[in-house]
This record gives sequence, C-alpha cells and structure tokens, in this order.
Amino acid sequence: MRPNRRTVLKGAASAAALGSAGALGAFSGPALAQDNLRARMLQIPGVGKGAPTDADWQKVGELCLGPTKANVKEGEFKGVELSFMGLNNQNLHNLLFRGFLKPWEAYTGAKISWIDLAQADYNPRLQQAIATSTVDFDILEMGAPFEGDVCGKGLASEMPDWVKKQIDIDDYVDYLKPPVGTWNGKTYRVTIDGDCHNFNYRTDYFSDPTLAKSWKDAGNASEWGVPKTWQQVQAVTKFLKGKKIKGQNAFGYLDAPKPWGGFGFYFLGSRATAYAKHPDDKAWLFDVDTMKPRITNPAWVRAIQDVVDALPSEPADQLNADPNTTGFQQFLAGIGAMVPWWGDIGQVAKASDTSVIGDVVGFDILPGSDDVYNSKTGKWDKLASGPNHAPNCAYLGWGVYVMARVASDERKHKAAWSAAAHLGGKDLSLWTVMYPSGFQVHRTSHSNIDEWVAAGYDRNYITSYLNSQFGSYNHPNRAVEPRIPGIFQYYSIAEDELTKIFAGQYDAQTGANNIAAAWEKLTDQIGREKQIALYKASLGV
Amino acid sequence: MQDSSSVADGPHHKLASQRTPLSRKNAGRALVALASLGALLVLLVQILHASGAIAAGFVDWRPILYAYLVWATALGVGQVMIRGERGLRALFLLPAVLFTVAVVIFPTLFGIYIASLDWNLSSFEGPHFNGFNNLIGLFHDNYYWNALGNMVFYAVAVLGEYAVAFGLALLLNAEIRGRKFFRVVFLLPLMLSPVAVSWMIGKSLMEYRFGPAATLARNLGWDNPAFFAHPWIARVSIEAMDAWVSIPFIMIMLLAGLQAMPKEVQEAAKVDGANAWQTFWHVTFPLMLPVSVTVLIIRIIFKLKLADIVINVTAGGPGGATDTVSSFIYRVYRDRSNVGYGTALAMFYLLMIIVLLTVLLRLSSRWTQKVT
Repeated sequence: MRPNRRTVLKGAASAAALGSAGALGAFSGPALAQDNLRARMLQIPGVGKGAPTDADWQKVGELCLGPTKANVKEGEFKGVELSFMGLNNQNLHNLLFRGFLKPWEAYTGAKISWIDLAQADYNPRLQQAIATSTVDFDILEMGAPFEGDVCGKGLASEMPDWVKKQIDIDDYVDYLKPPVGTWNGKTYRVTIDGDCHNFNYRTDYFSDPTLAKSWKDAGNASEWGVPKTWQQVQAVTKFLKGKKIKGQNAFGYLDAPKPWGGFGFYFLGSRATAYAKHPDDKAWLFDVDTMKPRITNPAWVRAIQDVVDALPSEPADQLNADPNTTGFQQFLAGIGAMVPWWGDIGQVAKASDTSVIGDVVGFDILPGSDDVYNSKTGKWDKLASGPNHAPNCAYLGWGVYVMARVASDERKHKAAWSAAAHLGGKDLSLWTVMYPSGFQVHRTSHSNIDEWVAAGYDRNYITSYLNSQFGSYNHPNRAVEPRIPGIFQYYSIAEDELTKIFAGQYDAQTGANNIAAAWEKLTDQIGREKQIALYKASLGV
Repeated sequence: MQDSSSVADGPHHKLASQRTPLSRKNAGRALVALASLGALLVLLVQILHASGAIAAGFVDWRPILYAYLVWATALGVGQVMIRGERGLRALFLLPAVLFTVAVVIFPTLFGIYIASLDWNLSSFEGPHFNGFNNLIGLFHDNYYWNALGNMVFYAVAVLGEYAVAFGLALLLNAEIRGRKFFRVVFLLPLMLSPVAVSWMIGKSLMEYRFGPAATLARNLGWDNPAFFAHPWIARVSIEAMDAWVSIPFIMIMLLAGLQAMPKEVQEAAKVDGANAWQTFWHVTFPLMLPVSVTVLIIRIIFKLKLADIVINVTAGGPGGATDTVSSFIYRVYRDRSNVGYGTALAMFYLLMIIVLLTVLLRLSSRWTQKVT
C-alpha cells in the first residue's frame, strides 16, 4: 500500500476539480449536462481510490444508458438470449462487460450468457470455431488482426447505421477509421480500444548529472538526453553497460527475445518500422502485389542486428525475457531505461502498487531513424524533413463484433447490436481508458487533458502519455497492422527463428532468409491469391 | 457347464441351458444387421454431405454418435438373442470394448487420417488430402529433430532421477526417526501441478534479480546466475524442475518394491560379511530390477511427454535448447493452427515411442533374466 500516492492524487483531484469548474462555464446547456455526466462518471470510484469493483462497473453502465434508451424501448428484448465471448485477462475485459451490461439487461429485458477465455486460448478457440463452423456466440470481443479470419469468411454482421450514430463512429482516431474495422467496404467493428507501441523511458536516467558527465567524458558530441532515433538508442544502451544509477546496475533498452504466442514479433516490429516504413510506401512487411516478405531486406535485417548488438548490454537473462517480463517485471519494477510497449505501461505506472517508477517515467512516440530504406530503389534515403518516424500501430486494439448468426432473428439482431453499442459508447469509453480495463485511448474525445486531470491524473504525466498515444495514432507515416488471415501464424514462425538468431545460432541475414522461406510456404498454404487481395484491402490500397 | 452355475435358480438355470430357438437367433441376427445397415447409411449420408456430393445431410456429426449407440445396444441385445447365456456373459465385456473402440481406437485412426491432410485452420480451401507431404516435411523440419535431440537428453536424465529416487527410497526403508514425516514431505512435489512448479520455481525462485536461487548463486560466486540464458544451463534447469516433481513418483514405487522384498536375503548377506554397498549392489538391486524396469519405463513415457514446464518457463528457448517435441507440437497447433502437420508430428512421435519402448522392454527383460 502506498498511502502517499493516494493522498496526493486525492488532493490533486479536488484541486483540479475546483480548477476545471471554471472552464465548464464556456459550454452550452446540454454539453454541460453531458460533461457533468462524464465528470460524475469519472469519480466512480476515483483515480487512486483503489481498484474498481463490480458495483462501480454497474454504476458506470447505468450512467451511460442514455444512448441505449434513445434507441430501445424498455423491455423491448424480453426473452432474447445472447451469448458473449471475450477475455478475462487480469480480471478485466469480460468482468467489466458484465458489470456494464447488467443495467442494460435490466432495462432491455435481454439475458446474456458468457464465454470467458484467457488471452493465450483466444486465438485457438476462435480459429477452431471458424474452421469447424461451430460459432456458438452472438457477440465477440476480438482483436482487429483477426478480421481477415472472421469478416473475410462472412461470419460477422454488418453494423447498422443507427449503431454508427449511437456510438459516434466519427470520433474514432484516424488510424482506427476505415479500412480498420471494415471488410470490402462494410463496417463490422465497434472499437473499444486503441493499440500502438509507444516509447516509455526513465526521466531520472536522462537527467542524471553523473551519467551526463560520463557520456561527455566518453567522447560523445551530443548532449545526454532521451534518444530520438534508434541509432541513439543503441549508443545509449551500449554506453550504460556497467554503469550505475542510484547504486543499482544501469541498463538501457530492453528487448524481448522470448516467444510470446506471436505477440513478441511486434517488439521487433517496433524497432524495424522506422527503418522499413517509407513515407511514400504503404507496405512495410510484405510486397503489395506478390506478398513477398520484406523481412530479408536491409531494413529488417538491420533491426534484427540491432537486437543482437544490444543484447550483451542488457541484463544477463534477457534471452529468457518475453514482453510480459520486460514491461512488468523489469521496467515497471525499476530495471532498464527504455522499453516499447502498449499503453498499459502508462496506465499501470502510476496506478498500480507493483510499479515503482510512477514519478520517473516519460512517454514519447517510438524513436525514428536517421535514414529509411526505400524498397523501390533498394537504397537508404535520408529524408529532407529529418529522421523518419513510423509508429508501430500494433494489434490495433480490441473491438466488439456481432456475429452473422443473429441475422435470422430481427429482435436478436437489434439486441446484439444494442449491447455492442452500449459497450462502445462514447462516454463509457472514457471511463474504460482512464481506469484499469485492458483498453487504451482510441477516440479524439479522449484527448481532453482537463478531463483526465479532473479525474485525478497528474497533468504533466497525462500530457506526456496522451501525446505519445495520439502522436502515434495520427502520425502520417504510421505502420498499421496487416489484418490478413493467419497473421499470428506468421508472427509465431518468425519468433521461433528469431530466438535462434538471438541465441547466436546463425546471423541475422540467414535467420531472416529462413523466416521469409517459412512465410512464403505459409502464404501458399493459406492461399496466395486471396492473401494478396486481403493484404491490399487491409492497407487501403 | 452345470458345475459353474452353483447358485442355481432352478427355472432360470433350466431356461439358460435350453438351446435358443432358431426364430430367436434369426431375430437377433436381423436386429444386428438392421442396426448395422442403419448406422452405415447414416455415416454414408453424412460423409457424402460433408464432401459436398449430396445436399441432404445433418448439421453436424452427432447423429453418427447416436447411430453408434443404437447399433451398440442392438449388438448387445442381439448377442443375448443369438447366443443365449454366452451372449449374456459377452454383455459384461461389450460396453468396455465398444467404449475403448470409440474413444481410443477411432480417434487414433482418425488422427492418422488428419495427419495425411494439409489443414491450416486459416486456409481458405479448408482441409485437403496431402499424401505423404506432411511426413516429408517432418523429415526436413529442423525444429522437430532439434526437439528429438533434446528428448534424448531428457530421457537419459531419467537415470539420474532414478539414482536419487533409489537413494531416498533406501533411506525411507531404513529404520530412521521421523520416517513417516519424511515420506509425506518427499511426496509433496509430486502433488504439485507442473505449471505451478514452473511459476513457483522457474519464474520466482530462479528469477535472475531477486530469486532466492539466484541470490544463493551470487553468494557462491556466480556473478550472473542466468539459469535460462545459456543452452546447457537452461536444459539442466528445466530437467532439475521436472526431476523435483517426478522423483517422488519413482521413489514411492521403489519404496513399495523394497518393502515387499524378503528381509531374509539381506540378513543372509549381512551374515555372510557383505558391507552396505555389496549388499545393495549384489542383493537389493538385482532383486529390485523388475520394479526398477517398470518404473523406468513408466517414467520415460511421462518424460517423453514433457511440455508444460518448458512452455511456461522458456517457451523452448534459448534458441530451441530446451524445446521438447510436445512443446513444439503445441506451438504448431496453437500459434500456427497447422492441424494436419501437427497431427503428423504427433503420430510419428507416437510411433517412435512405441518402437523405442518395445526395444527397451525386450532388452530389459533379457537383462533382468540374466541378472536374476
């Protein structure tokens, strides 16, 4: 228990609430009421006042029932039964949904039965349901990468227009707008989460005078500070080897070489996109017209080599570290100066008792690169605008989808979409991105810093965090996840080869060639022509 | 026949010993034939429907199960009608046989069929026949052969586990104080789930920075006690965890054997002037050979299935150093949805295990005979 943080946040919340009350006078009547609802909702239970409980989720769900009431009569779905398949990681996801939907069930008369899955079991269960035609769920919490498997096979129901209005679909950040969430021009997804890798770093490392002096003494012309490019990240990591900070061993960048069910590949991707994603090219992982893997190109090989070069400067057991380790057991526990991760680090760093770095963590978009590889010319380009940045919009976040099987029953169809729309509501989403939920910011309306401060967040902290998120989402050269069928199979195969490279069994280029060969085989097995078409569609080409 | 039925109910006994009338036999045969025909028809319809040859069919394969149950019932009733009392006796065996066919024989054969398919769950075309391509792919699969190589290490390590377990069993068999207490304590690791062990020990006790094992290692002079970063250290660490869980099993089997051994032989050896080691090596160990062979075979079978500790702690790394066949197949199935190929890997592994164990059993029975 850390009473200091709680009392500080309590004080900050009340002070900020007093401060922001003045700003509200500028809004018109209904907006004021809505903002009051949002402000009231965010005080349930209050940031820093302990983890929310089911009672809190139900209160929030009740408060946000307004949009549902506008479209659905009371008791309209009496007798309708729906089944919902989703996750239960870290006691979030479905556990929150149950609380949010309880008031919805009470109002509409529908009943929901639940299928809870651990994240590791999610993909196999989904693939099995699809392959054996045993889709036994009406509503599905799903990640965007699987849209190829589900929507591509016609298993999802198209979103009705009234749902688009209810959830204010235009409020989504740019990168979550179509083509994400759509297939062949039809919209299927209620977005409830945004995903990108941002750059998390320790502010105390980069403001430490001893390290600054050592950096200069080592002959470095540049100033000691937060790296902006991967070249600088490498230099800093090698420099920090053997150094100490506050009496502890200092470490720079943390790589995650151990396989993690396919998710580990994103972390190599985060290192590679600045090298591989050219502003003039939409593709960065495969060639658009042939699905020929680009992992053998100099950009990806350089990224793999970077990992190999950095590993000797990282903790001795880093080969056995998967992203869970680097994020939660290392970085949040005080080891290492830099780590890429999803927005969870920012959500947890201040709010969780397992974090010791809440006061010394900073956020930015992923580092860029002094040069970027041009796949068309086969040369490295130095951009006139400076270093090339290409934030890795990895995984694209969770969404709620309705399955096509509800189409046979008109009431069931409306009920399923109403439940999905309730969970994807604009106001409800603000609560989920502020409190532990498994979901991060995904709407432009989430970027109002005053609302976050009013809820109890420290202004500097949340400004830095939100800038790193929105700066990635809206970046013109962002690298967006390909949503082709079986994408995680590609990642999993790559992970296996990468461990061999990182363990020193062969060099980066040989390993990359092996990955490419395995990927080609996989593309043929899944069906090359269709994959090419779907890859183009996913890129919006 | 008359002798065996001792508790005879007069009329029942008379009925059973009468020859079953021909009409009843024919009725029985007809029943079985009808049920068989019906089941085959249902199966044929569903196969044709699933392959797209005909439009009519069932939504899923459950009717086949119902047809099988109906057929099994008809077979049982038919047996009684055709063969009378002998049929009644067969009824004691029939359910078990049919159950085994349904849940062991059929899945194995169906598995062999799947192993001949190219079936990636994400593939648009669905499963299609692949012939021997999966097998050819298997022979070129570096990961599979790497895992098999690791299994040799893990299997040989069983001998080390056996030695430790035998020592513990001898200890527990001796008249030491607190014997009952130690027996329970030594058994405790066996009661833990391997997944719990991988977290408790692999990820907590052996954690590089704060784990007690790492701290101890540092105190003993090992500066960077990374238990899973170097291939051989990682293999030994995984083996140590699996051994810790499994040694109690070997120990308890050997202890049972030791306790069943006649004491007179050992006393005779003592009288003859044999020291402790000689008694063990020339008397105890040879007498324990049948038990030892049994427990080693069982232990090797379990060892060849090692997966959970590897999956949880190292995911097969570093660089495949700790990968087992099962953990590799797990990845092929779970992360790559490559169902056909994964089944082929598993079937081939099954074949190899059967061959290996047959050879082992032959060799050990020959050796046991020689020694005893």
